[in-house]
Amino acid sequence: MRRTQEPGGGTSHPPRLRPPAHRVARRAIAQWAIESALLWGLASGLAWGAAAWVDGWDGARRWDGLLGWLGQRVWWLPVVVAAVGAVMTVLAPVWRYRVHRWEVSADVVYTRTGWFNREWLLVPVSRIQTVDTEQGWIERMLGLATIEINTASHAGSSEVAGLPVDVAARLAERLAHRAHDLRDDAT
Amino acid sequence: MNAPSADSRTVRAARPRAARLHPLTFVVGAVRELLALLAAGAAGLVVGGLSTAFYFTLAGLAFGLVVHVATWATFTYTLYDDRLELRRSLIGRSVKAIPRDRIRGVDVSAALPHWLLRLAIVHIDAGADGGEGVLNAVSRQEAERLRLLLTGRTVSPEEPVRAPERVLARIRPRWFVYAPLSGAYLLTPFAVAGSFLGTLYNLGDDLGFITRERVESVSHDVVGLPTAAVVAAAAMVVLAMPVMSVVAFALFNWDFTVYERDGSVVARRGLVTRRTVSLERRRLRGVELADNPFERAAGVVRLGALVTGLGDAAHRGRLLPAAPRPVAADLAQRVLGSVPAPLVGHPPAARGRRVVRATAPPLGLAALALLAGRPAVACCCVALALLGVPLGLDRYRQLGHATDGARLTVRSGSLRRRQVVVEHGAVVGWRIRQTLFQRRLGLSTLVAAVGAGDGACPAVDMGQSDAVTFAARITPDWVAPFLDGGPGDR
Repeated sequence: MRRTQEPGGGTSHPPRLRPPAHRVARRAIAQWAIESALLWGLASGLAWGAAAWVDGWDGARRWDGLLGWLGQRVWWLPVVVAAVGAVMTVLAPVWRYRVHRWEVSADVVYTRTGWFNREWLLVPVSRIQTVDTEQGWIERMLGLATIEINTASHAGSSEVAGLPVDVAARLAERLAHRAHDLRDDAT
Repeated sequence: MNAPSADSRTVRAARPRAARLHPLTFVVGAVRELLALLAAGAAGLVVGGLSTAFYFTLAGLAFGLVVHVATWATFTYTLYDDRLELRRSLIGRSVKAIPRDRIRGVDVSAALPHWLLRLAIVHIDAGADGGEGVLNAVSRQEAERLRLLLTGRTVSPEEPVRAPERVLARIRPRWFVYAPLSGAYLLTPFAVAGSFLGTLYNLGDDLGFITRERVESVSHDVVGLPTAAVVAAAAMVVLAMPVMSVVAFALFNWDFTVYERDGSVVARRGLVTRRTVSLERRRLRGVELADNPFERAAGVVRLGALVTGLGDAAHRGRLLPAAPRPVAADLAQRVLGSVPAPLVGHPPAARGRRVVRATAPPLGLAALALLAGRPAVACCCVALALLGVPLGLDRYRQLGHATDGARLTVRSGSLRRRQVVVEHGAVVGWRIRQTLFQRRLGLSTLVAAVGAGDGACPAVDMGQSDAVTFAARITPDWVAPFLDGGPGDR
């Protein structure tokens, strides 16, 4: 097997994708933080319950022999979960905000999402089947919306979260019209 | 819905008339229940005479027959110029209209009872939005007529011209010996035996034959057998497995023929249940070559088709169940085009990643087991992790991608290696994925989104810039506007 040696454009540096032009709304940080706080709060509650059950509030210490060293330190579990949750709630939304970007030009929808792991998605408008806008209750509170772009393939369907409502509505309408005009029967 | 008014006029005026299923249909429908009940009844007579439960089953049988006859009498189908209508009016009325231009495939099959009565089942597949229809059952001639009418749009119903068939590939009996190489057929006999025993047990239980004492006495007898007999029985089963798998394979894939007829690729197979699947050529987006290490050693590969809007693609899209690689490549070339070669390997950084990913889960488990004070379990996990090393290395060796200007291909996997070949035009989008670890190694995973098969063709752990270049080569218009060489920009 040989390595890829592309002739490329004759440039000195390898080709790479530039980031999409537009950021999402800054309020999206608040949205992600609230979501994360709720989720991790629930998780640490469950962990606390599980630890209490293993420890045996009714006197019977379960899994004592089975878990050995871990069994003695079962109360670490809710503490660790809560700590991770706190870090995630503070850190991840900001990180996510720095990564999330979108752009529509040359009839291609180009998005970058994720935080720890990143995903770049290129979907030509001509292959779009449906465009939906959605608002959860947190998004409604903050005046944000999510655009969902669906193609024939699950892997080619993308979601841009954290857009201001008016931007999302205009973008969805524009994309739907353009997709209707350009639609080809590739699928 | 203008169906009722339009219907009453057109039915009298022109060709479209409502047709019934074949009268023998209810026989076929009842045969299965009949067989099961007859077996149970015979057993009932032998064991304890006619019990009340037995009368109940007889009544059930009669009721079943009445339902079958009523279903037959109230179901009609009508073929219009633009649609196929299925009407059923047993309990409530329902009309299902399948637009003819949505029909993506017509699949004719016959189980043993159908085959004996010269009947066939017609499955009409109309993609996700058109739903699907089943005609169970019509005569074989009618099935063939419907298939021609519904797929070949130019054929007139008065003179069903048989379009010429061109055989693309045909299975050789010699290939049946490849069956044990694929794990699925090794287990088929067990699955069949299991479901048979399960049915028998349930029937016996319903009729009251299975009592606690009987079960206990049987298990006591089994336990009481000498060890040698048990070992011999186990050895027999192990020896029988490959033989049984060949038999099962032959049953399913007897005379497997792939041929081409008026714009469709048709696969016909089966000994007892004869199955015909026609795949419309213009919906065929690519093919998939799959194998496992044993098949790889023997040079055998399975070929499947990637078709848009085909339900149950794993079974119905099958083009060759097991064939020598050159034959499969040849067929792939005939239905799609040549497979791009040679494959370009992925950067060496991907090797370490494959090995880590193969060994990390068992190692993590081992650490947990150690913490929990279970050294024996930890040792097992470490052994598994050691086995993961060659697996990871092989996974790296199998990674590859290529394009030849019209089709692209990506390959990955070891225990189940898949090579997907897809037309460039079938790509509906690109997704590039990069984890934090991949970023440190300069790798990324490029996924070609395709509206056929399972929707994604991932090229795992490509070089970061190779991924972009690869996508840009296939669809320059989509990628070029977003290219940027500036190393400072991120």
